[in-house]
Amino acid sequence: MRAQAKRPERRAFANRLVTLIAALACTGPSTGFAAPGFDLAQLTAQLARVKAGEASFTEKRRIEMLDRTLESSGRLSFRAPDTFVRETLKPRREKLEVAGNVLTISLGERSRTVQLDSAPEAAVIVEAVRGTLTGNREALERLFIAAVSGSAERWSLELVPRDLRLRGQVASVRLAGRESAVREVLVMLADGDRSTMTIEPLSTAAAP
Amino acid sequence: MAVRPGAGRAGAAAIAVWLLGLALAIGVAVQAHYVADLSAFLPSAPTPQQAVLLDQLKSGTASRLVLVGIEGGDSTARADASKRLAEALRASGLFASVDNGDTTPWQDAGRFVFEHRYALSPAVDAARFSVDGLRAAIDDTLSLLGTPAGSLIKPILLRDPTGETVRIADALTPAQAPKSEQGVWVSRAAPRAVLVMTTRAEGADLDGQQAALQAIRDAFAKLAPVAATQGTAEANATLRLEVTGAGSFGVAARERIKSEVERLAVLGTLAMVGLLWLAFASLRSLAIALLPVATGVLAGIAAVSLGFGQVHGMTLGFGTTLIGEAVDYAIYYLIQVRASSREAGDATKGVSPAARWLSRSWPTVRLGLFTSLIGFAALVFAGFPGLAQLGVFSIAGLAAAAATTRFVFPAIAPRGAPGLGLRERLGRMMRSAAETLPRVRFVFIALAVLAAIALIALPTPWHGELLDLSPIDAAEQKRDAVLRTDVGAPDAGTLVAVSAPDEAGALVGAEAVGARLDVLVRDGVLQGYTSPARFLPSPATQQARLAALPDTATLTTRLEQATEGGALPAARLGAFVAEVQEARGQAPFGRIALEGTPLATAVDALLLRGDATRPWRALLNLQPADGRAVDAGRVRTAIASVPGAQLIAIKPELDALYARYLQQAMWQAGLGAAAVVALLAGYLRNARRLAAVLLPLVATSLIVLAALAASGAALGILHLVGLLLTVAIGSNYALFFDHLKREDEVDTDTLASLLLADLTTVISFGLLASSQIPVLHAVGVVVAPGALLCLVFSAAFIARDRQDDTRGKIA
Repeated sequence: MRAQAKRPERRAFANRLVTLIAALACTGPSTGFAAPGFDLAQLTAQLARVKAGEASFTEKRRIEMLDRTLESSGRLSFRAPDTFVRETLKPRREKLEVAGNVLTISLGERSRTVQLDSAPEAAVIVEAVRGTLTGNREALERLFIAAVSGSAERWSLELVPRDLRLRGQVASVRLAGRESAVREVLVMLADGDRSTMTIEPLSTAAAP
Repeated sequence: MAVRPGAGRAGAAAIAVWLLGLALAIGVAVQAHYVADLSAFLPSAPTPQQAVLLDQLKSGTASRLVLVGIEGGDSTARADASKRLAEALRASGLFASVDNGDTTPWQDAGRFVFEHRYALSPAVDAARFSVDGLRAAIDDTLSLLGTPAGSLIKPILLRDPTGETVRIADALTPAQAPKSEQGVWVSRAAPRAVLVMTTRAEGADLDGQQAALQAIRDAFAKLAPVAATQGTAEANATLRLEVTGAGSFGVAARERIKSEVERLAVLGTLAMVGLLWLAFASLRSLAIALLPVATGVLAGIAAVSLGFGQVHGMTLGFGTTLIGEAVDYAIYYLIQVRASSREAGDATKGVSPAARWLSRSWPTVRLGLFTSLIGFAALVFAGFPGLAQLGVFSIAGLAAAAATTRFVFPAIAPRGAPGLGLRERLGRMMRSAAETLPRVRFVFIALAVLAAIALIALPTPWHGELLDLSPIDAAEQKRDAVLRTDVGAPDAGTLVAVSAPDEAGALVGAEAVGARLDVLVRDGVLQGYTSPARFLPSPATQQARLAALPDTATLTTRLEQATEGGALPAARLGAFVAEVQEARGQAPFGRIALEGTPLATAVDALLLRGDATRPWRALLNLQPADGRAVDAGRVRTAIASVPGAQLIAIKPELDALYARYLQQAMWQAGLGAAAVVALLAGYLRNARRLAAVLLPLVATSLIVLAALAASGAALGILHLVGLLLTVAIGSNYALFFDHLKREDEVDTDTLASLLLADLTTVISFGLLASSQIPVLHAVGVVVAPGALLCLVFSAAFIARDRQDDTRGKIA
């Protein structure tokens, strides 16, 4: 974070840039001015109404140094307030489970546990997805500069890590969805690699 | 009055011997080595488990740990300060490790790990280099690409496609890590950046510890001006530094002991001089009265220095009580001889007052001296080197003070001391007390009975812990606990120690224990464990891994098959094949190869070097599964088949250690008390007199104990020692009253001398009770009230006969 401390003007510039990008996204042709009032507060409120859900996913990762795209698929589930499970079934079984601050990664026989807040790089990805699924506005705003575009029916959420050091690894996470369901997660890494996860909801449990 | 020629020659000889002894004692005391580390107050002669434990306490990593917190300012200022402080301290060379969550310093270690990845990776075996194994391993590695971890893997992917580096990093990363923010460790509970350091200096090397602590403070102080130029001056100006850890405790304790000893010595001397002034109102008498004290203190220091090779600061602090005890002899002699010389007109033809005192009172004083010596002798055998010093110091000091009084005083003050001061009044007070107290003795008896009942009814107060002996106050211990929680460094855990004659043996043992613990981790009994073998596998294991690597031709063929249709074609993995080939020719490395890398510190914390007197030891710290205690039974069963492996639960082990010493001390105190009784019985040769002398001692012990128990104090070995001292010192007063009971006439001055002697004892032990050092406080809080009660009860119980039979004589 020394860069930030040394060059506040650069941070201000970056902020302006992000604001500009967000503004451009808002005025883009696909979203237009259909719902000018739709913002993060409304989006998270809408998402928070869903207390638990299950979905299947397929993920495509485009890695610059590999000859072809890596594909995987599996299931996602979440339960308010803070449990999120991503279980990869193909090509190999792998399970990533987050409950509160504890992240457990299981790969075959091996499993290891880390505290999420001790690994901020992992926390960025986890919180982007978990925070959005559970509609946790506080968590999203604490970690990201968030920009919402679109309408309640068809929205997209752009998350840029606030921490410049983390932004050096994860450039942005872009989530898109319809109403209270997340349908796509696009992770842009700083080195140009990207992964796109497409989500197909299986079941949801709304708030009573 | 003329001293007889014979006595004069004897006196001159006594003075000569005394001066010579004094000169020798000064010579030794000046050259003595003074220390103040606390290990002297840890028990000695422990079991093998406890040997590991005490080793760790004295010089283990825990004793070299320094925890630093940076508070105030904003998170950016704290992170910045953390990084620059760590950088400065790493460069200072005073620390074996400085960790603040910044991974930059691990880059050197990373190179070593990467070059030796096939010897270090727990995944390497023949199956991993089969076609299926290679395919699975490469898939595992590729699955990390496209995640934030990918950026770390991509640069080494083509050289390490099976991800051995990742496996090693996995094994080395602890499950409990501090929270990371802006690239540095921070507290989860408060806005605070935290750093963990290990000093190069051993925990017992307090000068080294102090230098390291000073370096931290200096480096922190230098941060501010640099920051000011960067526009964060305001945020930085408010930054605060918190330092804690065993080293800082040791240094703080030394400072405290030093200042306490000075305080006690100054106050003790002032109080004594004040009292003596009250008693004599004569400078000359004052100077003479202080001679046995000075002689005693010097003799004590010299004896301890000769016997132990060093003098502990705490011993000197305890020495102030010697001032109070030793001055008694001077008071008895100077006042009582004076009294008898005033009435020298009648029955003393040809016999000097000094000689009369020697024949009449000295036997009682001598008996009192012997009971005191027995009391202090119990300290010598108490099993704590520190307490043994106190015992030797007191024995030598008292004996020297008494000898000075007995042999030198008749020569330099044959007629006692001039000056009367307020003695007249003190004596009259004492006389009227001696009349009044026996009338209310039933109150005292009732009190003693009540105390006995309370002691039976109240829960046992003997639940002191070793920690109670630590001179660190509760606030500091709390701050330490808070920082420990921040960095996830639990202070008292459970560990497995494996002993072996050499490095390789200890590592083989650690691996064998590790294999058994893995099963417990899988079963959820443990969350994890640390092992030196993860950083440094045994030569046999390294050899086995390297031998499992296939040759170039085999690997090339298998790799072709394994990567067929995959995202990473074998053609790009030429570097991998070449480096596997290179690894096959590597020789296993030992601890020495890690020198200069952060791995060395990590290994040294867990692998204790052996020497001629002790074996090599590998330590495996166990992390209990969530919120539960380690199931010692299951661990013990699991590791039973590994030779030299022992489970050590630190807190219970320390408690057991202390309980054992308390038990032992109880026996010693019992024996000491029995010896005192036997001595008294042998001298008094009368059951009734013996009972009368013992009654005040028993009543005092009961009441003091009950009062402490009722106040909720946790009593330990030191309180027991205090109790024994109370009996040993208190018996002096009881004996004097027994002696006076048999005298035809009791002059006021003798009574005054008793009161004065008691007051000096009460004051000197009262000063100890006011000390913040628990060892001194515990003794003082028992003896000060005990000595007072002993005098009161002796007056109440022993004067009884006289009161009834020959009231006129004492009144």
